[in-house]
Amino acid sequence: MGSEPEPGCALRPFAVEQGLLSRPDGSAAFVQGDTSVLAGVYGPAEVRSSRESPERAALDVLLRPKVGLPGVLERSREQMVRRACEAALLGELHPRSSVTLVLQVVSDAGSLLSCCLNAACLALLDAGLPLRSLFCGVTCALAPDGAVALDPSARQEKEARAVLTFAFESTEKRLLLSTTRGACSAKEVEYVRDVHGTSV
Amino acid sequence: MAASGLSAEVDVGQVVLPGDVLLLPAAPNADGERLRLGPSSAPRGRLLCGPGLRRCAAGLLVTKCGLLRHRPPAGAGTGGGAYWVDSQQKRYVPVKGDPIIGIVTAKAGDIFKVDVGGSEQASLSYLAFEGATKRNRPNVQVGDLVYGQFIVANKDMEPEMVCIDSSGRANGMGIIGHEGLLFKVSLGLIRKLLAPNCEIIQELGQLYPFEIVLGMNGRIWDPREVISTPQDWIHQQSGLLHLFVALSPNLGTGAFL
Amino acid sequence: MAAGFKTVEPLEYYRRFLKENCRPDGRELGEFRATTVNIGSITTADGSALVKLGNTTVICGIKAEFAAPPVDATNKGYIVPDVDLPPLCSARFRPGPPGEEAQAVSQFIADVIENSQIIMKEDLCIVNGKLAWVLYCDIICLDYDGNILDACTFALLAALNNVQLPAVAINEETGLAEVNLKQKTPLNIRKYPVATSFAIFDDTLLIVDPTAEEEDLATGTVTIVTDEEGRLCSVHKPGGSPLTGAKLQDCITRAITRHKEVKQLMDKI
Repeated sequence: MGSEPEPGCALRPFAVEQGLLSRPDGSAAFVQGDTSVLAGVYGPAEVRSSRESPERAALDVLLRPKVGLPGVLERSREQMVRRACEAALLGELHPRSSVTLVLQVVSDAGSLLSCCLNAACLALLDAGLPLRSLFCGVTCALAPDGAVALDPSARQEKEARAVLTFAFESTEKRLLLSTTRGACSAKEVEYVRDVHGTSV
Repeated sequence: MAASGLSAEVDVGQVVLPGDVLLLPAAPNADGERLRLGPSSAPRGRLLCGPGLRRCAAGLLVTKCGLLRHRPPAGAGTGGGAYWVDSQQKRYVPVKGDPIIGIVTAKAGDIFKVDVGGSEQASLSYLAFEGATKRNRPNVQVGDLVYGQFIVANKDMEPEMVCIDSSGRANGMGIIGHEGLLFKVSLGLIRKLLAPNCEIIQELGQLYPFEIVLGMNGRIWDPREVISTPQDWIHQQSGLLHLFVALSPNLGTGAFL
Repeated sequence: MAAGFKTVEPLEYYRRFLKENCRPDGRELGEFRATTVNIGSITTADGSALVKLGNTTVICGIKAEFAAPPVDATNKGYIVPDVDLPPLCSARFRPGPPGEEAQAVSQFIADVIENSQIIMKEDLCIVNGKLAWVLYCDIICLDYDGNILDACTFALLAALNNVQLPAVAINEETGLAEVNLKQKTPLNIRKYPVATSFAIFDDTLLIVDPTAEEEDLATGTVTIVTDEEGRLCSVHKPGGSPLTGAKLQDCITRAITRHKEVKQLMDKI
């Protein structure tokens, strides 16, 4: 790849605010274009005995959509965010305690999962929890003609042949999370992953 | 982000992020203030790895985001000293030796359960007060404030605190009054206030005499006499709080709340 | 003595085997358990399949019913997957509403159906705007011994292959649908997606088809769904240990090989 970013490989303008909520131990708001997610972290706090683990902190993630009750899609996303955060969090330093991460979708205009991951990472950072590394999420849309668009809007996602979301950790840029919608070839996945890695 | 292979030099006092690996200078005496991000040889001298840092194969792994601080070794030692990350947090994690303000929540036989703001409640034995014996029990009720220090505080065990020091004297610890107000502030502010020659404390002292108790768990207790009218009460409390807020720009990088 | 060591230090016990490049049940790191499939066992369902992947047993039953097509796509039918992990299959699941694992697997199966275009929803339409088929795919796990995603995907595929839909005629006078049970046609399966799951150990080792014990000790999982053209329908890595690009490529290569093995099995039935 050349050193200049190709058209379509530019991210939407993004903004971060940390420490905006007074009650949670850590909070962050992440805005990507028109997509905005608010995250709050409580922890390390008391844990229910059923969730208690003698080896590491029990991490719970709650994802609340903008309208309606959380459904199967939200549960699936909660599981993905939880496992990504568990890989980055040093839970061994706080056994028999719980860390609760609450994500509230304020507005959804595409790339929602990566916005949630970014907000989660910054909220954990704001709470002062020990982390092995930082991580960030990026979404990419493959148009039917093969063009790659980073950080797609809702319209681009709808028209795309495939939408891929990746999360990379900060130390060695290895892949932490991957989820795809739509079918694509193995070469396209590799190419997109490399493009994501450089943009991160 | 600096990848392994680049040799960036991090001055003490710079912001570090989780995942950064800090390598200790090969020559301990020269460049004691600088740490290199990159491959290096094994460190020499006794080094204290403080909060926010963990030892890893290559050096020190940063686990919290904040400013890197360094204290040179006390004697004329060959390198070492202490490194730590000055980070901001609201939630307290018990550390051995920290003086804290706790709230008694339950009496269970011979011990009291004390809420210290951490993930677990601490236990306080009734014999851990000055002059307490099996016959002469201290008069501690549920809801009282106690000022003590931790003797056992690690991640694997329930924290234990006492209200006497090693020689058996109270030294200011114990039940602290039944009136007054308890403020919850961030841990960074407490550390700033407890630093030697804190500007706020000095300026406040010049305005009017006061006595406050600071707990490392983010709690400040302010003993006020019972005020007769509600207006006086509000004026007195908002005065202290406004002073804290007004003086916070002088705190520099450590945030107030 | 080995059993005692396994209870006290399960991870160390497992590492000893991994050093010799094998696993406690004698398999290689890249070897799958014995896969068997039995179709058409549920006579009351329109299509069914039972898949056994070692000890993991999953049964899928498909019922076809009538429904009005969705308003925004009047020529499409519905496919509704639902995965149930009852307390029967493992001690880790409690009775009550579906837990997080069951919901996550249900979402994964729904995504596989959507991404791989296994059935075109247009094929399920009977009368445009008025009547369409809705296929309720109920996948129930009978024995949970790891690698539930692979087993569910395969069971769904085999059951869909087994579905026979009766012919439907609309009576001109009454406007009602008349079902002719004697005349049945199979579904048109366009793609054959096959899932391959890996468990990540100690950030470096990848093992294929983990058992339940291996999943508990693993630090991460990856699932790759491929179809017969070698296209990736899903690269599902829900967090866990980070992977380098080269390791991901190895997973994709192994998944393509596994697809050929499963396709051979499918062709036999």
